This record gives sequence, structure tokens and C-alpha cells, in this order.
Amino acid sequence: MATPTTAAPPRDTPGAGRRRPRAALGEPAVPYLMLAPAVVVMLALLAWPAVQVLGISFRKLDLGELVRGEVVWVGFDNYAEILTDPVFWSATARTVVFTAAVVAATVALGLGVGVLMRHLGAVVRTLLQISLVLAWATPIVATTTVFQWMFDQEYGILNKTLVLLGFDSFQGHSWFATGASTLTVIGLLVLWQATPFIGFTLYAGLVTTPRDLYEAAAIDGASPWQAFRAVSWPSLRPMLTLVAFLSVLWDFKVFTQVWAIRQGGPDGSSTTLPVLLYLKGISGSHFGVAAAVAVLMLVVLVAVTWRYLRLLVRSPETEL
Amino acid sequence: MSGVALAATTALALSGCAGSSGSGGQGGGGPRTLTVWLMNGSAPTALTDALHKEFSDSHPGVTVNYEIQQWNGIQDKLTTALAGNDAPDIIEIGNTQAPKFAAAGVLADLTADTARLSGDQWLESLKASGQWDGKQYAVPFYAANREVLYREDMFEQAGIAAPPTSRQQWLDAIGALRAEFGSDPDFQALYLPGQNWYALLSFIYDEGGDLARQDGTAFTATVDSPQAKAGLEFYGQLVEASGTKAPKDADEQTPEQAGIYGGGKVAMMIGLPWEVATAAKTDPGLTELTSAFPIPSKTAGEPAPVFQGGSNLAVPANSADQDLARDYLALMTSARYQGELAEAGMIPGASTDTSALEADPVNAAMAAAAKKGRSVPATPGWASIEAGQNPLKDMLTAYLTGAKDITAATDDANAALNKAFGG
Repeated sequence: MATPTTAAPPRDTPGAGRRRPRAALGEPAVPYLMLAPAVVVMLALLAWPAVQVLGISFRKLDLGELVRGEVVWVGFDNYAEILTDPVFWSATARTVVFTAAVVAATVALGLGVGVLMRHLGAVVRTLLQISLVLAWATPIVATTTVFQWMFDQEYGILNKTLVLLGFDSFQGHSWFATGASTLTVIGLLVLWQATPFIGFTLYAGLVTTPRDLYEAAAIDGASPWQAFRAVSWPSLRPMLTLVAFLSVLWDFKVFTQVWAIRQGGPDGSSTTLPVLLYLKGISGSHFGVAAAVAVLMLVVLVAVTWRYLRLLVRSPETEL
Repeated sequence: MSGVALAATTALALSGCAGSSGSGGQGGGGPRTLTVWLMNGSAPTALTDALHKEFSDSHPGVTVNYEIQQWNGIQDKLTTALAGNDAPDIIEIGNTQAPKFAAAGVLADLTADTARLSGDQWLESLKASGQWDGKQYAVPFYAANREVLYREDMFEQAGIAAPPTSRQQWLDAIGALRAEFGSDPDFQALYLPGQNWYALLSFIYDEGGDLARQDGTAFTATVDSPQAKAGLEFYGQLVEASGTKAPKDADEQTPEQAGIYGGGKVAMMIGLPWEVATAAKTDPGLTELTSAFPIPSKTAGEPAPVFQGGSNLAVPANSADQDLARDYLALMTSARYQGELAEAGMIPGASTDTSALEADPVNAAMAAAAKKGRSVPATPGWASIEAGQNPLKDMLTAYLTGAKDITAATDDANAALNKAFGG
């Protein structure tokens, strides 16, 4: 509180505002100077590593080169190796389908939860919110371990419950026998962890809608569905676009859960792009090839989110 | 507290720096420091204390900077350390990882020192994993191999007079156990998850097969051989005969098999000697009731060959004190300290004397098979298999669940292995 009062007086001296032209040379630089620290940090922490990755993707960089500090340029060899590998294409298709399914499910469920919170009584809503926060706050690996036990073939509560309910075929059923089944379990896990954030964000969007609008809609005889479409939807739309965009980014990059559940198995059939990146880079010590996978992932991601990115660039201040 | 720790670490780091970079080429004269990295849980403290004292006494002016490393993340740490100018002078590396470092040219060639490092006593499997292109880059440290841990009381109740010494006797024992305890739906004569590829290796070796054929530095997978198929078939036969409830798509760590054995409803499992201690955490009485026999062979009366896991010792090429490092290795591979490793329950890597293991039946069974120990193909590609997706595990699951027939399963695994060997 003390600082502004001591700093303010010189600025308030009469005439200071009117004399602006005098500082004409220095003045335009001020905003840029103020931005500079942030820009420098961003460039150092984000742009430089990104440029490095791009550079490495054109190099042969295995353990030997890394240790000896050699720089071996190989042009597009790494890209050629990746693009001719059928594993890359199946992983890309798998990742895109997985991301689309999980994003659609998360946003739909999040919207449902948001609308539900809007209509619940205070007590039940608080309980729901606490539960959501707990689900969200649980460490990813802890939740993953719980899911592994729930879906365990022999000791899992899911199979035991299904058998109790009379579905005897689930006795000893393996949920991780095929890639599709494994990715479904992983999708449920991601859904469980991602819904709270989406739910809260959309709920925040809903509560900012003025009550009067709903009252006006009610007076006009609108059904709940019509009220939702006419009143809630317009205020939710930019929010929905935002959370869908964020979800695409998150779900496309999911690695921890996929790796922890079955290491991309069985037989590589739940290997997504981030898993492939790990296999090439960390497991195989082919850092050049891994960098090429990373660059290609970025290309796929930009292609998938192209529409949102354009909206973002065109109208940064209004709708996303 | 953290301030003190930080200060201490910095002081250590600085002295380490000064020692190895400052006095490297000079030879003698002035204090020198030998930095030794051993892994957590490998050499017992009593051993390293005595060894470091003896080393310092015979090398006046040399300080041993001993650092215990954690297995978790060690690959990255070694990669960084070996690339820098301040590399440690002695490192311990897992035997399946050794070829990766040897082939990358980051380890010093120890071929000329074989004789003074007890080379005539070396354990064959570890010796092979320390070799690359005809040269020795890492020397054997210690190893362990799997055996069959069993419940003596259950064997007695089922009327099994002596531990099985052939595959047939093993299957017969499983039959007798199931006849005696089979009425209990939770009983398992043998707990055998579908992806215990260490056990599979033993069966493949026993059939006369191997994972790959070596030609210089080139490796060709041979998992599609009739011998490998026979080993895989025996695995299936064991799973069938034992009626194990273990998952077919998981290994012995998920869930941890010692925990299942600790539940008291399992008569046998294929594991390492110290898994008994893990099981005893659930039920302390199991230490008394558990004994072991070597994995039985097709040939009656002989133990089957086994996969040996373990560690090698190596000198980084960037180490500034190459001569001191070799002296240190000579001491570590001497009879005295190798004997202490055996007393600690490990198979010594540089001594054929395993008598210290005989006292305990669980260790004795491991030692009995140790001479027939083998290792995975000594190719840098193997490290990527263990740190990534193991085709042998996929092969086992696909065959045991019937997802693929034996030809398709072995052909796919063979192709995947060849791809990994190729880099």
C-alpha cells in the first residue's frame, strides 16, 4: 500500500500529462521493454527447446553421438524411417480416434455435470463439488493403480460384481486382451480424471448467465430445453469451444496412463503416438527419430485443431 | 537441514572434481580421488567398508568417493555422467544394459587386464554380456538366477518324497498336489503368470534353443526354431497342468507373485531367493516352510540352464584415473570380496567358489543351476526391449490365450526381436 503513494506524486505534478510529446522517442519502447522479460523467458523455455527438437529431428543422435557430443546431419532420414513404418500410421489413427472419443465423452459429461450443479440444492451441490475436486486432485498414477485393480482379471471388483449380477462369462475376463478394450479402459480413466475440470469450467460459464434471462424465458413460456438452447447455450458456446480445444491438447498427449496400464500392449495394440515417442527416444535411445515423431505429432495436432487455432488468431478478445 | 546437506554435497562434488580432473595424467603425487558408483542393494556395506579401507591403505593419498545410486532413472544419469568430463571412475551396470554402453564406445577396454581381474573364474553369462566386438568392456560383478520355491509342508502332505529332478517328476508333483489340495478352489499347485519370460528362457535353453544367433556384432533372432517352440509348448503344458489362476497377460510383478504366494494357497512359484523374504512380510511363518529346487530339466537329474540377471563393473572411457580404477576392480574381483558377495546370498561374478551359498537350501538351489547360467543376447538392442515392449511377453500371452497359434506367435516375436537387434 505504501509504494503507490510514494511513487505517485511525481506523476501527478501538473503538466506531466500534457508534456507527453517530449518523451516521444522513448515512449513507444516502454510496452515492449515491459514485455521483454516475459518474452525472453518464453523464448528460452519454449521456443529454444522447440527449435532444438526440430534440429535434432534432422540428426542421427543415438547414445554414442550424445555421449561423444557429435553432430551428424542426416537430412530427412529420420522422417523417412518414421513415415515408412506402418506402426507410426496405426498409432496415428489410434491416437486420433482415441482423442476424438475421449474429448467428446469428457465435454458431454462435463456439460451434464455443469448443468446438474446449476440445478442442484446447495448441500447436494457442495457434496458433488467436493467429490469432483477429490477425483481431480488424486494423483494420476494413484488413480491409474486403482483402475488397474478394479479391472484386474482375477481379483478385480468389476469382474466379481458382474459375476454376482449373473454375468458368468466375466469370470476371469481380461479387459486388457485387445487393444480396443485396453484403450476403452484407459479412456474411462482419462474421462474420470478430466471431467471435474470441464464440469467446473462450464458451471462457471452457466452461473455468469444473468438470472433475469431465465425468468424472461419462463415468462415467455419456454420449456427447460428451449431455455437451455436460447439462454444457456449462447453463453456456454465460447466456453465449450475452449474446453474442447484444451481437451484435444491434453488427451492427444496422454502418456502416463497408457504406459502404466499395459505399456502400449497387448502386442503394441494400444500404442499411441506419445508411447511411440517414448519407445523410440527413451527405450531405444534413438533421439533423432524420437524428435521426428515429436515434430510429426505437432503437425497432426495442428491439423486437428486448425479451425480453433484460426479462430484464436482472428478474434483473440471475443469468442474463441 | 537441507542447507547442511546441500553444503555437504557441494563440498563432495567439488572435491570429486578436483581429484579426478586435476591429477589425472600426472600419476602419483598429490591427493587423488576415485569416484565409485555402485547400485543400491548390491554390495553390502560391510564389504565396501573393508574394501575401501584396504584400497586406501595400499594407495596412499587416494580417497575413495563412494556413491550409492538408485536403479530408478540410472540409465539417464549414466548417459549424462558418461558424456561429461567429470565421469565417475567405476560404474555398476545391469548385465542386460552393458552391451548398450559397450557398443556406444563410452567404456574403457579392459581386455588386457582380464588376467589380474580373475578372468579365469568369471561367470560365463556375465562375461558374455560385458563383451562387444571381441573386446571385454565390463567385468562380472554378481548374478542371480531363478529357481522353484516350494512349500515343504505341502509336498510332505501330498506324499512327494523328494523335490523333482526332471520335468516329468515336476508334472507328477503338480498332479499329486492338486489331488491333495484341489478341493480348495483357491489352491494353486504352481503360480505361473503368462509373461514370466525368465522361466520361458530356461525351458528354451533346456531344449537346446536360444533367443539369437551371434555372428560378430550381428544378431539374428532364433525364436522361431523348433527348440524355442518346444520350450514355449512346455510353458503352456505347465500352465495347463497346474491350473494356475495367474493372469495370462501379466508378468510376475503385476501382481507381485511373492504376495500371492504369501497368501498361503500356493505350493510353488518360479522366483529369486529373496522373494521368500517378500512373501514372509505377509506370513512370517513361510520362511521356515519354504525350500527350493533348481528348475528341472528334460534330462533327469540335471538342473535346466537358467537366465542369469546381474551386474557388471566397468570403467568409463572418460575416467581420469584409469590405472586406479583397474586396481580397484582387481581388488573387487579378488577371492576375498567375491566370497563376501556369496555370503550375502549372491552368485559371485568373478569366483567359481559358491560354497558360501550351500548353507541355506534356498540359496543352494540357485547355486546348483548357476554354472548353467546364460544371458540374453549381448546386443545394444536388448536394452530397448527391456525398457520398452518385450516381444517375448507378447508371444507368451498370444500363445497361451490362443490369440495366435504357435507358428504365428513365434514368427511375430522373431520379427520384432530382429527389428530391435537391428537398432
